[in-house]
Amino acid sequence: MNRLPGIIVLVAVVALVGAALVGLAEAGGSGGSFGRTAYVARLVWMGFVQAGLSALLSVVLGAAIALALARRPAFFGRGVLVTALNVATVLPAIVTVFAVVAVFGRSGWIGDLFRALGLGYGSWIYGLQGILVAHVFFNAPLAARVFLAALSAISPEQWRIAAQLGMPPGAVFRLIDWPVLRREAPGIAALIFLACFTSLAVVLALGGGPGNATLEVAIFEALRFEADFRGAAVLALLQLGICAVIVAPLVFFLGRRPPEAMSTGVFAERPDRASRATRWIDRVVLSVSAALVGAPLAAVAVAGIASLGALRDPAVPRALVASLAIGLPAGLLSALLALALATLGRSLRAKAGRRLADGIGLVAILMLVVSPLALSAGLFVVLRPLVDPFSVALPLIVLVNALVALPFTYRQIEPPLLVAGERYGNLADSLRLRGLARLRIVDWPLLRGPLIVAIAMATALSLGDLGVAAFFGGSRFATLPVLLYERLGAYRLDDAAAVALLLTLLTLVLFVIAQRWSNGGWIARPR
Amino acid sequence: MLVLDRLALTWPDFSVLYDLAVPRGALCSLIGPSGGGKTTLLQAVAGFARPVSGSVSFDGVDLTRLPPADRPLTILFQEHNLFPHLTAAQNIGLGLDPRLRLTALQQRQVEEALARVDLAGLGRRRPAELSGGQRQRVAIARAIVRDKPLMLLDEPFTGLDPGLRQDMIALVDTLRRERGLTVLMAIHTPADAATVSELMAFIDEGRVAAVGPPAEVLAMRIPALDRYFRR
Repeated sequence: MNRLPGIIVLVAVVALVGAALVGLAEAGGSGGSFGRTAYVARLVWMGFVQAGLSALLSVVLGAAIALALARRPAFFGRGVLVTALNVATVLPAIVTVFAVVAVFGRSGWIGDLFRALGLGYGSWIYGLQGILVAHVFFNAPLAARVFLAALSAISPEQWRIAAQLGMPPGAVFRLIDWPVLRREAPGIAALIFLACFTSLAVVLALGGGPGNATLEVAIFEALRFEADFRGAAVLALLQLGICAVIVAPLVFFLGRRPPEAMSTGVFAERPDRASRATRWIDRVVLSVSAALVGAPLAAVAVAGIASLGALRDPAVPRALVASLAIGLPAGLLSALLALALATLGRSLRAKAGRRLADGIGLVAILMLVVSPLALSAGLFVVLRPLVDPFSVALPLIVLVNALVALPFTYRQIEPPLLVAGERYGNLADSLRLRGLARLRIVDWPLLRGPLIVAIAMATALSLGDLGVAAFFGGSRFATLPVLLYERLGAYRLDDAAAVALLLTLLTLVLFVIAQRWSNGGWIARPR
Repeated sequence: MLVLDRLALTWPDFSVLYDLAVPRGALCSLIGPSGGGKTTLLQAVAGFARPVSGSVSFDGVDLTRLPPADRPLTILFQEHNLFPHLTAAQNIGLGLDPRLRLTALQQRQVEEALARVDLAGLGRRRPAELSGGQRQRVAIARAIVRDKPLMLLDEPFTGLDPGLRQDMIALVDTLRRERGLTVLMAIHTPADAATVSELMAFIDEGRVAAVGPPAEVLAMRIPALDRYFRR
């Protein structure tokens, strides 16, 4: 297998990221954003509080949802609920902001209900509470998805043994479910913590002022309003350092292949379904989660349909074109980068041993800890002497978005590529299948699905991107999330509703495509 | 006496109907082609599959509607008889208390059961640290502490070396003689079972197609058996 593309991509990615960070650190600016130590310390502390609470709440709620769904494999509306949960995990962050405001905001559904009942309803959604609601809205379903996959992989024999032994529900939880949940929790908690720690759109729109700002928001503001590159660089490096420490356990989690279900293929009923206690717990958990996830999604649909007329605004089709012009190439590029890296990793695994090959996976995961904004700003600074960065804004946004999605595309593509090598490598060698013929006959049938999933996923991620597009594009080059953010900021909620619905529908289309081709491996979310 | 009386189960593409009687303390081996209904028979007796009609009873007690935990039996599967995250001793202990809160006396019983299956000292190992044969002996040890009069074996020794397989069958045979157990054992190597079985049942296309002492069944000239043995 040809290693050249992989080597080029590897060197290019490392060089780009390195150059961007160095360039950023050496660029000018007041450095004011990092001059005040107390301010930075507060940013970090608030980040930890906000992301820690988000991760904790999401994991606990996610585990409860997963257990309830595992215990109830068939009830009226289960399919709809599972779809709603899945959609919540892929909704762009800025759309989530809109949805949360539409339900919980002062003039949202709940406010209307309170006023109809003659009760007062103050705005509580701006601040830490609002950030938590939005983060839990899309991260609890993500955790539920991971937990449910793990619980479903418990072999039917285990349930039969438990049934035969007469294990009561409490013991089933303690002896069978809990070990599985405990095994999965650290990885998913770290992933959620990381996403919330670097969260931009939610904190920007719902934070309610500098008191709740995170490092990523501070980077955004340093760049956008103060042009303080040096300050942004310091903040970005600080964020990178903290995230790198958090990502360490995640390397294990992401590098691990999803467990293969060990089963005889025969379905076995869980023995803890009949108890009155679990029935009531599941009823409450499922109703609450249906309301928490369903109401915001319904709000997007209802408000969007009510203000479809706002789509006639010429800014909307322009933003749609801009979004697609960024999202589709970024998705394709990200998948190609991942394919090149994974192919290199596979050939190194065979020849040079595991450690080097794992290092390549690490490069992909590295992108999780690099602030996309810092990367954009760094590239901007590096390119400034050579070319007007704004004249090449489009390719730059595509590139940064492709890099940001790399951890997710790599995770989609690497496992099936390895399987293709391990399972059919010797057979292919013995038949002298090489190069393109091998790619076409052996690898392609196994890779087609994962590639489509990866492209759809990466495209959805870039469609939801707010920060990078806002930094480069500004108002000249507004994508749908940028437009949505501006309209939310101007309290033009009707105009915002139409854009939110449009963005949701685009994401849904990609989600349906990915769902069709995946085996349940969708773990990605826009920042 | 274990009695399956016109015990019927149906699925959209498959249905079975069993008639079988096994005297108390006897070992009855079940032979027949894969997909013929051996496993389904055992699952129905254990209570994991719901019959549409007929009955299964043991020593005159009707088991047909009882939940799995209330039936006087232990079943061993071909694989995954142990919880992979629990130690061998914990897996055995579950047979004494499904909440796994064991008294000192019960812990001694676990140790004795481990010694009985020649695994003394290995109680702290997890299933992944045991060989395939050792794992099945842990499952047998759990059956010992559960102390139920009926034992169902769903090809649990498939995949073991021939010598080991015969050792395990001998262990099962010794246990049932000591304790007066009634044993139903699905097996795909009839010769291994012939010497220890009082009865042999040939299960084909969801029916008990032939039943009797092993020598007689193996010598019967019916087309399905001839096909099974390629003779």
